[in-house]
Amino acid sequence: MTAKHVFKLWMIRLCGVVTLAATPALDITPAFAHGERSQEPFLRMRTVNWYDTEWVGKTTPVNGVTELKGKFHLSEDWPRAVVKPTRTFINVGSPSSVFVRLSSKVNGTPMFVSGPMEIGRDYEYIVKLKARLPGHHHIHPMFAVKEAGPIAGPGGWMDITGRYEDFTNPIKTLTNETFDSETMGSMTGIGWHIWWIALGIFWVGFFAIRPMYLIRARVLAAYGDEILLDPIDRKVGVAVLVLTLTVVVVGYMAAEAKHPISVPLQAGEAKIKPMPIKPNPLTVDVIHAEYDVPGRALRMTLHATNNGTQPVTIGEFTTAGIRFTNKFGASRVDPNYPAELVASAGLTMDNEAPIQPGQTVDIKVESKDVLWEVQRLVDILHDPDQRFAGLFLSWTDSGERLINPVWAPVLPVFTRMGA
Amino acid sequence: MFRTDEIIKASKLPPEGVAMSRKIDYIYFIPILFVTIVGTFHMHTALLCGDWDFWLDWKDRQWWPIVTPVTLITFCAAIQYYNWVNYRQPFGATLCILALGAGKWIAVYTSWWWWSNYPPNFVMPATAIPGALVLDITLLLTRNWTLTAVIGAWMFAALFYPSNWPIFAYSHTPLVVDGALLSWADYMGFMYVRTGTPEYIRMIEVGSLRTFGGHSTMISAFFSAFASSLTYILWWQFGKFFCTSYFYITDDRQRTTKVYDVFAFATLGPQGDKAKLSGGKA
Repeated sequence: MTAKHVFKLWMIRLCGVVTLAATPALDITPAFAHGERSQEPFLRMRTVNWYDTEWVGKTTPVNGVTELKGKFHLSEDWPRAVVKPTRTFINVGSPSSVFVRLSSKVNGTPMFVSGPMEIGRDYEYIVKLKARLPGHHHIHPMFAVKEAGPIAGPGGWMDITGRYEDFTNPIKTLTNETFDSETMGSMTGIGWHIWWIALGIFWVGFFAIRPMYLIRARVLAAYGDEILLDPIDRKVGVAVLVLTLTVVVVGYMAAEAKHPISVPLQAGEAKIKPMPIKPNPLTVDVIHAEYDVPGRALRMTLHATNNGTQPVTIGEFTTAGIRFTNKFGASRVDPNYPAELVASAGLTMDNEAPIQPGQTVDIKVESKDVLWEVQRLVDILHDPDQRFAGLFLSWTDSGERLINPVWAPVLPVFTRMGA
Repeated sequence: MFRTDEIIKASKLPPEGVAMSRKIDYIYFIPILFVTIVGTFHMHTALLCGDWDFWLDWKDRQWWPIVTPVTLITFCAAIQYYNWVNYRQPFGATLCILALGAGKWIAVYTSWWWWSNYPPNFVMPATAIPGALVLDITLLLTRNWTLTAVIGAWMFAALFYPSNWPIFAYSHTPLVVDGALLSWADYMGFMYVRTGTPEYIRMIEVGSLRTFGGHSTMISAFFSAFASSLTYILWWQFGKFFCTSYFYITDDRQRTTKVYDVFAFATLGPQGDKAKLSGGKA
């Protein structure tokens, strides 16, 4: 090895040491997200269209009860690649069980177990949560579809204050006992494990205190096993066998006596009726849609008819939990909705005027914001079926909100206009 | 009390050899054999019956007592082969389950509690030590692996549910929430949010077994015992395949012989002019 080689080798080693030494000095911040942006946009846009999501009580003390609630529409444009929602479950996306979920109701029906839901219909969910682990937590509603996986809704921040040590969760059972979910059964279980582990260690230790491997292998090869099979092994074996069987039987009978009333695990199916279909005087169809890649904008041509008696004003387009609003819609956004999910001037139309009763109009709409890029919805252009879906929210003059689901194929525009 | 002196004498090892063999016992037994089983068996169990063993609300009457013993008896059979056939040591199954338990309890407090904040009662592992003891003692008393497969493996599975009932009986206590009947285990699974594990993932008495008169546990235990017997036979043979040492010698007349006596390796090896060692495992 020449001096040059030695020098190179030591330089590489030095670089490694410097890298390791410098690591703690780098600005490393904790990651809070759940990777929701990495979920394919066709899943987020064309399955569940979330709206009215509300993280009640932005700050909750430990043991305090709060809610995560909202509504969602199951898109008519449900992707062919995704299993239909014949078995679904409303879940909570959180960094571990920072809240305990006390109850979950969908359209007023408890959803402890999963069940089917209907495409094209709307559902309202209310999840009651009890604060458990202090911190600044990012919480999502989630819609899990069997064989398709969980589909994350919009994420909002919820803070929990206080100390975990103060958390208790006592719950009364049908047998009039009170169980605390944090501790119930722990000591009994640990006690039984300690007992069996002790007996197991005794059994192995009984042989481990004598020569175990090399010596026995030599004797076995030379003379067979007659010398090795010590009569006391059989006696102790019988004793341990009797003891084991006795403890199992006595333990079983004692547990039966202590818990005489029991039910098997419950796993039926939640039967949830969708929300009634509300009469909607406005019809909206997308007759053309294109995504402007350099402009980060989804442009749509809407064919809208107002069959009602009042003028209707379009204020918002929402998809994948992202809200694109014009000035009219922005004033109707819940101020507590996460600002990072709202493009408050992201919706422009060539005709902002209200749609008059009996009027049919074609409106060119542009939802434009960097959120298309930031939320990685642009990846729609890499799909085998390039489509989008979402909801248009509009209001009548009397303040009634109308919701129109829309969906259409998307044509990509890869160059700037006029380029 | 023991035949230790007789065994040591029969080994024909000098005193320093005996002392060295004990050191090898300790080094081999704890850092190598035990820790290796902890890693491999824990991984094997997590992959094959993980959710049933992790979560309180997966421990149903049907699949839990079938899947868990059938998964656990695998390594027990293979390690029993190794320990019994080579050393006549009847603690292979217990050693495996103890090692698995060590891995599980490390996971309960590191993965589930410190990292994921699930309380230990929600992720309480099951115990298979009673079944493992019976399996080992059956082998010791019968000295016959076929009888062990029929009696011991059967008992290994049949004892699983009753030996775990004292640990988990409370979790079947009924309660009513929002007008719905739940067991405590169901409600624990509901309360402690698992983002990636929606309720429908659970397999609770799925299948037609429940239609056989409603005695799910007994029928499951019987089926589990039968399946465990077959699994035991298969994995005993795996143990045999992977733990049998042999080598070949070729003598000066070019006749090749397969030799299973690994101790002969040392004495045959140096006779390079008369016998040539080749191939095999030794």
